[in-house]
Amino acid sequence: MLEIATEFANVVAQSQGAGGPAIDAQAAAALAVGLAAFGAGYAERGIGAAAVGAVAEDEDLFVRGLILTVLPETLVILALVVVFLVG
Amino acid sequence: MSAAGSSNPEYVNARVRARRGALYSDEEYRKLVRMGPAEIARFMEESEYETEINALGARYSGVDLIEYALNRNLAKQFDDILDWADGRLYDLIARYLRKFDAWNVKTVLRGLYSDLDRQAIEDDLIRAGEFDERLVNRLLEAGSIEEAVDLLDRTMFGDALAEAYEDYEDTGVLVPLENAVDRAFYENLLDGLVVDEATQQYREFLRAEIDFRNARNALRLARSGAEIDPSEYYIEGGKLFRAAELSTLAQNADELVSRIRESSYGDDLSAAIDELERADSLIRFERALEAALLEYSDTLGYVFPLSVTPIISYILAKEREVENIRAIARGREAGLDADEIEDELVIL
Repeated sequence: MLEIATEFANVVAQSQGAGGPAIDAQAAAALAVGLAAFGAGYAERGIGAAAVGAVAEDEDLFVRGLILTVLPETLVILALVVVFLVG
Repeated sequence: MSAAGSSNPEYVNARVRARRGALYSDEEYRKLVRMGPAEIARFMEESEYETEINALGARYSGVDLIEYALNRNLAKQFDDILDWADGRLYDLIARYLRKFDAWNVKTVLRGLYSDLDRQAIEDDLIRAGEFDERLVNRLLEAGSIEEAVDLLDRTMFGDALAEAYEDYEDTGVLVPLENAVDRAFYENLLDGLVVDEATQQYREFLRAEIDFRNARNALRLARSGAEIDPSEYYIEGGKLFRAAELSTLAQNADELVSRIRESSYGDDLSAAIDELERADSLIRFERALEAALLEYSDTLGYVFPLSVTPIISYILAKEREVENIRAIARGREAGLDADEIEDELVIL
């Protein structure tokens, strides 16, 4: 067990010695966008369910429901900025 | 319509809030109390109750038409809610709506007891609970009370009814059976309820419902002076009374009233209690209890907007609407004037 630990410490020390971070900047930016999209999707889950409910009761609410449902998409758009900053 | 999957309070809440907006307002009640039964029916036809009035219009007229249309609309609305809800939300709503199962069971038993024909019983049912069409139809076709009790074997009323049936055979009165149904319902109300931040409020509400029911029973017994042991009617789960206390309190109305005043409901009910002490009117007190419960559930809906409470608050509001319109129609039929009818209404 102890041997593995020292071995592991060596590997870590070596990779750090190699200089760069674990993933490069572009990959990190891509991850950021992905996580933002994930958050937006979760937010839209609730809003979408409520919007469909409201539209089922009153068809006139369709446009309003649609707008409210896609509002969290702004999160993804803002996250996209990161890609341009890095790339 | 199932208890499986995750719950969907967003969807159900959006729909329920839209329906809530369609309930009659003060303004409309004020118009309704000045109408005759035929005008009320027409007024209803032009609003939410259109389908029901049209469907029943050929068979009934006057107050009966209004009453059956109200019941049918109530059943439809509540069935819809159960239909939409999934997961835990379904379980929470069904707890309260089983009240209508209890109502239906009692109606069928009473109908069988007094030898009514099937149509007459069917008209009085409110098919809003959890029982499916098939079970209700089979209940309606049951030839005797024993058969009906057997049919209910697998429902939550089964055990209690089977026990009470012996009593019924001994005494020949329906009271033990009706009691068994009520108690089975109330005991299931809080049974196995998972309590977290959002449902804690709901539990408080259900407890309040049980407490008020106990208080009402005790007051009625105290008033009637009947030699009945109140603990037989006691419902477990409330926090206001214990079974033993209720027996002594029911013999002394004053003590009972002061007990309610000192409890945590005292503030909400103080107006009602004053009324009870001054005018000695049990009906007013019961109206005030209902208004207090409605108001309480109304505030709950704003505390946790994405939980079961706004839905329950709608259910209560709808029930009150149906009772109000019924009171107006019956009142007009009996020739009461507008002020007297307004006293009977529960409006916030």
